Amino acid sequence: MENRMSHHELKPVDAKQIRGMLARKKGKMKRYLSFCAHCGLCAESCFLYMKYHKDPQYMPSYKAINSLGKLYRKKGKLDRKLLTEMKGIVWRNCVLCGRCYCPIGIHIPSMIAFARSILRSQDIYPQLGEVSSESWL
Amino acid sequence: MYDFIGSRLVSIALIIFVLGVIYQGIQFFKLTRKKEWMLPPLPLETKPKKKTAGQFTVDCLASLNGTLWKTDPLMTIVTSVFHVCLILIPIFLLGHNMVFDQSWGFSLRSLPESITDVLTVVVLVCAAFFLARRLFLSRVRAITTAYDYLVLLIAIAPFLTGFFAYHQWFDYDVVMTLHILAGEVMLITIPFTKLGHMLFFFLYRFLIGSEYSFARGARAW
Repeated sequence: MENRMSHHELKPVDAKQIRGMLARKKGKMKRYLSFCAHCGLCAESCFLYMKYHKDPQYMPSYKAINSLGKLYRKKGKLDRKLLTEMKGIVWRNCVLCGRCYCPIGIHIPSMIAFARSILRSQDIYPQLGEVSSESWL
Repeated sequence: MYDFIGSRLVSIALIIFVLGVIYQGIQFFKLTRKKEWMLPPLPLETKPKKKTAGQFTVDCLASLNGTLWKTDPLMTIVTSVFHVCLILIPIFLLGHNMVFDQSWGFSLRSLPESITDVLTVVVLVCAAFFLARRLFLSRVRAITTAYDYLVLLIAIAPFLTGFFAYHQWFDYDVVMTLHILAGEVMLITIPFTKLGHMLFFFLYRFLIGSEYSFARGARAW
């Protein structure tokens, strides 16, 4: 496991592959991101936001903007450190329950799921060893 | 300068707005050509039970519990009023209809100026509320960028300058030029910025099939 993790940490990010994935769903995802009014009304529909004392980092729009939004903003040019930071946002802070509600109609779970796919393509996903009952619910 | 802003740029802004809306609409329909979402079939008992007015009212109020009305009633009221006024005021403003009549030979019914003046103040108060949310509410502040303030400014500038022009505050010609320019900037930016949610709200909430659809939309991305 240790060897596998260090291999993942050393492996360079395949920006071309990320750009290809981003381009494939650009029409839908870029519209979602660009028409999000940043109103924060989705917050209270997330049970994790409510559970963690209304901490904004659990807000559905915050999670989408700081994962998929960042991937599009940086055009896939991210290093492994930044992608690893996103791992916590899309796996630990969201369980993809699909209960988040956007008044405009933006489907936030599909954005988080897509961000997960991109991270997974770079071998970034929660390892069994790092999952504890405390940090992962 | 005034001639360009007051005549040619108006036409340019309107053309960009119309073409932008058409382009975004076509893109939306192209991207959502697939139809895969189907709502579950209605139960066999399709004949609805007759309800008294009281039961109907109670049911309507109970259904609001699952909406933003329950979690954030103040924002629900403010945002609804703001968006309705934002569309109604420019269309039914007497001054605008006089310009429509002079330019195109037709006009719509106009609201009394005293009413549009009050509604403009309502829009400005609502905008102040949105600004306060962005500045002081941690969950909104966490996702706010300079771009959000700019978009709010673009949305409000035509109303603020229009209010100043109506009351003839400051230099009338300068304020009027700024008012026309602000309206043009708003028209041009609607299809290509966050303001596009004006259009996409209806497309997403009515045509895309989802649990939260307002209608039986069957389109899927």
